[in-house]
Amino acid sequence: MLEDQLSTMFAALADPTRRAILARLEKGEATVSELVEPFDMTQPSISKHLKVLESAGFISRGRAAQTRPCKLEAGSMKEVARWIDAYRHLWEDSFDRLDVYLNVSQATTKKGKKK
Amino acid sequence: MTQDLTNQTPTGAFELTRVFKAPRSLVWKAWSERERLQEWWGPKGCTLKVADLEFRPGGFFHYAMHFSKDAPPMWGRFMYREIIDQERLVWLNSFSNEGCGITRAPFPQAIPLEILNTVTFEERQGMTTLKLQARPHGASGEEVKVFEAMFTSLAEGYGGTLDQLHDHLAKS
Repeated sequence: MLEDQLSTMFAALADPTRRAILARLEKGEATVSELVEPFDMTQPSISKHLKVLESAGFISRGRAAQTRPCKLEAGSMKEVARWIDAYRHLWEDSFDRLDVYLNVSQATTKKGKKK
Repeated sequence: MTQDLTNQTPTGAFELTRVFKAPRSLVWKAWSERERLQEWWGPKGCTLKVADLEFRPGGFFHYAMHFSKDAPPMWGRFMYREIIDQERLVWLNSFSNEGCGITRAPFPQAIPLEILNTVTFEERQGMTTLKLQARPHGASGEEVKVFEAMFTSLAEGYGGTLDQLHDHLAKS
């Protein structure tokens, strides 16, 4: 993945409305007018957010239908999720090992006088 | 195994809490002594070699992460900013070179150059609670956004934990 593309994706996610739109689309396709209602925003501003999400690759829009329904492109989220996972795993793995180490360390301290 | 509590509240920080069945004095030693740190710190699948540990504010913990015999290690460092005995540790974490100089992440991703980590130690009835908080330090606006989206905001749009997000992505 290109660094620029990842930056575009994160910039797209940095906005709460856009994250909410993604959450809505997770439940299924929606047209612009269907998205306008719950967000209490004007159609042009929703369209602007959709454009950002589309260029970041998070959503795609139907070509054929007049309404051009928006659809979540889940594949694009995988890169992001992979990255988040990496940091979380770093700490969780380290904490797991620390847990084991502390147990072993206490067991040996009780038996002999290690330190 | 004690459950981790990963918190994605929109504070711009990554938070993780874990309870250890050990007194605080011992947990503190695990964080502050060279041969003990070597036993547990670092990503999975790597063998950690500590190059240097200067456990004092302004000092460095410099280490090599060996992932395979054939590949050169990846280096990392902590720069300690605040050390309150058995209570609180604050440090800047980054990738580094062999000489302990700061470097970008060795893979093509816009990770913040430095991450400010704070960990607090609390003891109750012989158990120690560690609270870790991580946030970007001195990052550009874009890097901060990256970091926030990464650790905090992303999950809220997906109704809770990252695990759920992960499961969802695995299915789709």
